[in-house]
Amino acid sequence: VIRYSLIIPVLLAGSLPLVGAEWGQFKGPNGAGISEEKGLPTEWSREKGVKWKAPLPSRGVSGAVVAGDRVYVTCSSGKRDDKLHVLCFEAKTGKQLWHRQLQATGQTACHPKTCMAAPTPVADASGVYALFATADLACFDADGTLRWYRSLTNDYPSITNQVGMAASPILVKDKVIVPMDNDGESFLAAIDVKYGKNAWKADRPSGINWVTPFVREVAGKTEILFAGTNGLTAYEAETGAKRWTFKEGAGSIPTATVVEDMLYLPGAGVSAVKIGADGVKGKSLWNAKELKPGFGSPLVYRGKVFSVDGQGFIACGDAKSGKVQFQERTKTAFSASPVAGDGKVYCINELGVTYVLDAKESEFNPIAENNLGEEVLGTPAISNGCLFIRTDKTLWCIGK
Amino acid sequence: MHRSFLAALLFAAPVSAADDAVAKPIASLKAVEREGKNNDTIGLAWTALVGQGAPALIPSLEAVDDDKPIAANWLLTAAGAVAEAETKAGRKLPHDKIESFVKNVKGAASARVLAYGLLPAADKDRLLPSFLNDPSADLRGLAVAAELTKAKSKEELEKVLGFARDQDQVEAIAKKLEADHKVKLVLSEHFGFVTQWHIVGPFASVQGKALTMKHKPEEGAKVGEKLKGKADADVEWKPVTTRDKYGIVDLNAEIGKLHDATAYAVAVIHSEKEVPIEVRATTPNALQMFVNGKKLFEREEYHHGENMDYHVGKGSLKAGSNVLLVKVCQNNQKDPWAQAWRFSARICDSTGAPIPGVTQLVGETKVKLGSVPASEEKK
Repeated sequence: VIRYSLIIPVLLAGSLPLVGAEWGQFKGPNGAGISEEKGLPTEWSREKGVKWKAPLPSRGVSGAVVAGDRVYVTCSSGKRDDKLHVLCFEAKTGKQLWHRQLQATGQTACHPKTCMAAPTPVADASGVYALFATADLACFDADGTLRWYRSLTNDYPSITNQVGMAASPILVKDKVIVPMDNDGESFLAAIDVKYGKNAWKADRPSGINWVTPFVREVAGKTEILFAGTNGLTAYEAETGAKRWTFKEGAGSIPTATVVEDMLYLPGAGVSAVKIGADGVKGKSLWNAKELKPGFGSPLVYRGKVFSVDGQGFIACGDAKSGKVQFQERTKTAFSASPVAGDGKVYCINELGVTYVLDAKESEFNPIAENNLGEEVLGTPAISNGCLFIRTDKTLWCIGK
Repeated sequence: MHRSFLAALLFAAPVSAADDAVAKPIASLKAVEREGKNNDTIGLAWTALVGQGAPALIPSLEAVDDDKPIAANWLLTAAGAVAEAETKAGRKLPHDKIESFVKNVKGAASARVLAYGLLPAADKDRLLPSFLNDPSADLRGLAVAAELTKAKSKEELEKVLGFARDQDQVEAIAKKLEADHKVKLVLSEHFGFVTQWHIVGPFASVQGKALTMKHKPEEGAKVGEKLKGKADADVEWKPVTTRDKYGIVDLNAEIGKLHDATAYAVAVIHSEKEVPIEVRATTPNALQMFVNGKKLFEREEYHHGENMDYHVGKGSLKAGSNVLLVKVCQNNQKDPWAQAWRFSARICDSTGAPIPGVTQLVGETKVKLGSVPASEEKK
């Protein structure tokens, strides 16, 4: 017995992949955009500081996600952008492990800035759940086995958004949470991870929306918070029952974030409001219009709020008071959300230039500007001590 | 229990019935239900099919039916997984069979495109010219793009134009023809837009209910009939001819700059025989389309884009006269960018081309779809 008990862990350790910290969804763990890892990269270029890079078959504005020893990316291609791709790479080496292609079943027209590979997929150690702007949703095991597939447009035919959908799914325990606010039948659905059947489906007001939901644990229950045109609504994760709505919390693109008892809401700027077990309490404590988020969601990190926007502004304010510390206009628009780790804030613009900020600094004084020279609209992932940046052509792993 | 083991148990076939080992899971995949209702068995069928390896490749592709898109994606991913596994194992794919499948236009377009991607680059280049008149938009588009790089003379450009269906490619050819050969292309004719209508309105409309609020033109009112419209006001039919190159009818100009309003447009389409058609419409407003009283399509979305052919209704024309009725609803948004109230519609085959023998009846006269009378096309 003793002999076996010694051997088995050794064998297991030998067979298990090297697993880094998960960044399994849009903006990482619970959408906060924060990694707890140390030793993250500061400087890089196309030639320097690149651990590996892998070509992608086509464009996508979704971000890469990392789970287990896998990196997952979605792309879309074709004359009508109706070929949908899910790719899996080995996180350590960049080796492409598998590539699956689906045919879009929903509409593919959209604003030229976006494409059908717009929602960021969500992944865990077992595999990936890839949602596309066409409302096609596929779940693949980590080895590329199709676990299940749903054509939400076939299931709910009035789904439509000529601008193009981009809200990302999230995972809550044994359910994939799918945001589907659009001009037709709108809903937030919980789909069981095993077979892809509806666990619940909560009706939503009709209207287009690109917000990704997020989660909080409160009084022993898990709540899904989802902003739309009518406010920020909390749903019980188990049942989909509505718990409360904060009408002033309406949103359309960026996602809010909760830090302890404070809810940071993107809107005309960023505002902060207290949140308790039964929802939002009282009026905004502050509103900072200078922290204007555009497509990117605000980041709350080490007592500060960081935002980027479509005019190239990077702004920072104090998370307690909302007092603006700097607002700097750079040369190029941002679509990706800022992310942070190891005391650094990474703001990557649409031309692939990353401004690396020291989170302690109260002035705009980037410690590095790193240019990949390719279009970046998706939010980077942080895992295994590396940044995973997907451009329109390439998946880059930045780090050692 | 491991999924591949379960799949083997469920879809096991005698050794002598190797075909069954492929046919059974394919039949299961084709029986997939909406909302994932039978995904538990479907998933096992997928695993069983892929587990068959190379023998499953061509049957999976052949089983794809683009009119059954849920099953199509189970089959397409299975075919892709088989091809990938074979390649990884160092085995050569059956390129001759794949090529035969690609060349067979009866196969589903999505499967043919996937199969085309499995061919060696040299074979792809060799096959490309044969796709100029292909029903697959992707294969046709690739072939047209390749020909466009070579076409210089008026004849060469006009030949490629005959095959081009996509707006960007048609516009590129039109530009070349005009710049290099002084030939002005009438785009509305190329695409087959309906250019002559009778319109009537405004009728009442409310966002969220616009498509369920029926008015007299939907209930059989004839062109010329006096009707009561919004707020019980008298409304009259009026003939409208659009000279827009994309057949756009501006309802703000023809009826008025209104909110919460519906307009109807009617055209009579003549066909020499019964034919399947697509009615493709472009509008930033809510829309319904009817042919001979049968609803072909509806969508309620406002001011989120005006992508050409975004709205597609599939139906058929009978031999003789057919009534095309289009309903276009404006909402009550006040934003300056949300004031457009307009539409265009065209009648074409599944590739987007005008259909021979299908014309528009203007009075008693048959006119070519897209033709612009008594004036040149608007630039």
